[in-house]
Amino acid sequence: MKRILALFQKRRLDSELDAEIAAHLELSEKESVDAGLSPAEARRAARMRFGGIESVKEQHRDRRSLRGIETFWRDLRHGFTVAARERGFSLIAIGVLALGIGANTAMFSLLDATLLRPLPFPEPERLVRVWEAPEPDRVNTFTTLDFLDWKRLNTVFEGLSVERGVGMALTGEGEPVRLTGRLVSPDYFDVFGVSPALGRGFLPDEEKPGAVPVVVLTSAAWRTQFGSDATVLNRDIELDGQPHTVVGILPPGPFDRDDAAFFKPLIFRPDQMNRGFHWLRSVARMKPGVTIEQAQAEMSAIDVSLNDVTPTWKQDWGVTVEPYDKRLVDDGLRRSIQVAFGAVMLVLLIACANVADLLLAKGATRRREMAVRAALGASRGRLVSQLLTESLALCLVGAIAGVGLAQLLLNLALPLAADALPFTADVGLDLRVLAFSAAATLSVVLLIGLLPSLQASFGKLSQTMSQDSRGASASRERLRRALVVSEVALSLVLLCGSLLLFKSLLQLQHVDLGVRVGEVITMSVDLPPSAYSSPDSARRFYREVVEQLEAVAGVESASLTSDLPLEGVDQGQGLSVPGREGGESVRYKRIDPNYLATLDIPLLAGRNFEQRDAADAPLTALINEELAAALLRDYDMDNPVGQIVEISTPNYENSDGEGANYQVVGIVRSERTEEPAAEQEAVVYVALQQVPQMDARIVVRTAGGAAATMTGIREAIRRVDPNLPIGDVRTMEQIRDRSLRGAQQPTWVIGGFAVVAALLAALGLYGVLAHAVAQQRREIGIRMALGARATDVLQRVLRNGLVLVATGLALGMAATFALTGVVESMLFQVSALDPEVIAVACVSMLIVGLLASYVPARRAASVQPMRVLRDEG
Amino acid sequence: MSRTNAEVPYGTLDLLILKTLDTLGSVHGYRIARRIEQVSEEALELSQGSVYPALIRLEQEKWISAKWGISETNRKVKFYSLTAAGKKQLQVEVEKWERTTAFVARFLESEQ
Repeated sequence: MKRILALFQKRRLDSELDAEIAAHLELSEKESVDAGLSPAEARRAARMRFGGIESVKEQHRDRRSLRGIETFWRDLRHGFTVAARERGFSLIAIGVLALGIGANTAMFSLLDATLLRPLPFPEPERLVRVWEAPEPDRVNTFTTLDFLDWKRLNTVFEGLSVERGVGMALTGEGEPVRLTGRLVSPDYFDVFGVSPALGRGFLPDEEKPGAVPVVVLTSAAWRTQFGSDATVLNRDIELDGQPHTVVGILPPGPFDRDDAAFFKPLIFRPDQMNRGFHWLRSVARMKPGVTIEQAQAEMSAIDVSLNDVTPTWKQDWGVTVEPYDKRLVDDGLRRSIQVAFGAVMLVLLIACANVADLLLAKGATRRREMAVRAALGASRGRLVSQLLTESLALCLVGAIAGVGLAQLLLNLALPLAADALPFTADVGLDLRVLAFSAAATLSVVLLIGLLPSLQASFGKLSQTMSQDSRGASASRERLRRALVVSEVALSLVLLCGSLLLFKSLLQLQHVDLGVRVGEVITMSVDLPPSAYSSPDSARRFYREVVEQLEAVAGVESASLTSDLPLEGVDQGQGLSVPGREGGESVRYKRIDPNYLATLDIPLLAGRNFEQRDAADAPLTALINEELAAALLRDYDMDNPVGQIVEISTPNYENSDGEGANYQVVGIVRSERTEEPAAEQEAVVYVALQQVPQMDARIVVRTAGGAAATMTGIREAIRRVDPNLPIGDVRTMEQIRDRSLRGAQQPTWVIGGFAVVAALLAALGLYGVLAHAVAQQRREIGIRMALGARATDVLQRVLRNGLVLVATGLALGMAATFALTGVVESMLFQVSALDPEVIAVACVSMLIVGLLASYVPARRAASVQPMRVLRDEG
Repeated sequence: MSRTNAEVPYGTLDLLILKTLDTLGSVHGYRIARRIEQVSEEALELSQGSVYPALIRLEQEKWISAKWGISETNRKVKFYSLTAAGKKQLQVEVEKWERTTAFVARFLESEQ
């Protein structure tokens, strides 16, 4: 303890010691003089008998306090002083470090939030999802009765809850608004471990039929729709025409980033109590101590025990229990983030190489200082730790600036990337991220600190002092050149990667989407069940709305569909051929007769839906090319047109389904139902009039100015139903851009990194060459005096630079070949070893290298021989 | 450059200082250093300055206490004296020393 106190009493203890030493010497001198020596001799004798004064002082300091911390602190302060003295150099170094550390911190926080610790809920390892599994590696939603049996029979779950998305109209608070919500079990919030900040969650009774309708709002919805008005609690709001009491408001958090704005208890209707209709998803929390394997085993056993009540066609289905975070991040996003993180680490390495290079360049001036210190008694270890601490000073400032930069980057990038990330991703600078930042900084310190200290010559003082600057810097030069070569190599890798991604993006953008994209505007409507309880009411709505829309000025064509292109088809059903074995799984899409015309989808054979495909007429269907090919392949069906197929058909409420026969009347060219990079799916189209449902998308083709026509469109819809809110108004172009976003963002990010990397490499190259030129001024002067021309000198320097770049390129190419597997899965129709890309990357680096070499070359060529020879160089 | 090689390691120096203070009472650093030199009859190569690092440690351990006073040449110096705890520690150190020398002597004899 005394030793820690001694740290703070340094000055006092030092001066006390000085006083004692002074007194000691005086006494010693006096004794010698009394014994007969002269004052001068006495003084010398006193000092000799005392021993080394500085040594004693140092040992005194040593023994009295925690030496390690004192010297560390002293070195650190010295480091700051040195950095402040050389402002220009320090600013560059700090800037480069801030860039490297900042970008890495930002990227790591993204990685941490999405891949490493993706669930911001208590005890997230206990959160799982339970699915039906038609095949071992496929998952499916499940039925009401299955869920109730699972809930009743299991012993492994603390809570097993279900969720189902829903869209409802919020009316009575100004303009009707269409909100996305979720129907959930009463224990849903308990499973997640989230308690409402205001009010309460759901009570078990509230899922019973006939219960008073209640709703829980998310914090974000409370803010946007109700202005954070606390009186909304326990008040009624009108959803789909029915009053719902607001019983709770969630705290700000992950649910704000999700698309659901409100939560309602899921009340099962009698017609939903079946084992035929698969519509529920689950979230469950295992009891403490239960492993996922145990849960899986029990659920499989329960599944088997239910076999006698399971429909025969489902008997060989299984049940899967998987961690909740398994499906949050799809493979594409996962790969993108991993690659981007790898890329940013490369940038950091290059940044370190750059700063190490700069430090080495300064090395010459430090050599003498180091030699003097060594002569004064510092051990090699001491000198190394001193240099490390000095680079720590630089890195600390760089790291702090870097963390600031990271926050800035996140603030800028998150709004753009938010909808690509799962709602659970809590991206920000929390303690884990800052710890990573600190670890990265320390690694940087070690990397860049060790190099100059390895170079510092601890040789004889006389040798060091007398040498002129050129001599022993050969090995340092080699090291600097090696650094530049590695910078070039790493930059090439990044450049290749980003060019590959760009090319892939271009390919994606040119994929034929199979639909018209320009001048098309889309929107969604949800028919409230209270007003549209019968299928006929929906049919009437569809007819009338299309009529009204086509009468609007500026509208060329209007139609309806259950799903928009590029966004996936919600429903999948089983299709089979009567009398034949087997079946296909197809996407099930409902459209009206105008759909093909509105989106310019050509009919390849047969006919489109017409007026006669109405409610009581025989069911008809259209199939796309993919499905036609599948039918040919699996059933030898040359011409599907006219054939009868059996498809399981949902009812109006989408709560149950049974097989029905459809006649195929036409084949259409495949449109892109999913994003451009995905495989085309087999799709069957049915007529909305024949199989109506309560929500639909409206697709309108306009003539000039989609936005301007919107008012007319809203008017038209209001004329059909004034209480119906319109949601998700987007143009087809926006939808297309959105579908490409997953490929665009990583491409731009990595492209940015590649540019930064190339710039840093150029900076490094410039530094080395400029230094070489400065060192060789005398040589150049002599050469020119002896007859060399300016152009010769220029060429020499340029060649010097090109050699470095070429070596770097060779290494970089080797690295690129080695890393092809990494980006392969992110590329669309582009090979990872695309020769065009590699050529462009190499040429770009060469040009960068030439430019970086140019200024030093010019400077070399402009050396005045006479001036140089006159100076001592 | 290596540490000043006192012929006497710090452990032993502590013992010598404590004994000196036990004998002489309250003295300053110079007196302690001279005393050790004299009693060893100049056989010990003691850099006089090395007592000071030892003294600050002994002071921190509270085995000796220091008071400021005036030296023979009218300078401020610290006068050190043994504390009660120091007296006990002296006994401990003496015992330790005697045990060690006895063991080393026995060890060397056994080699014959």
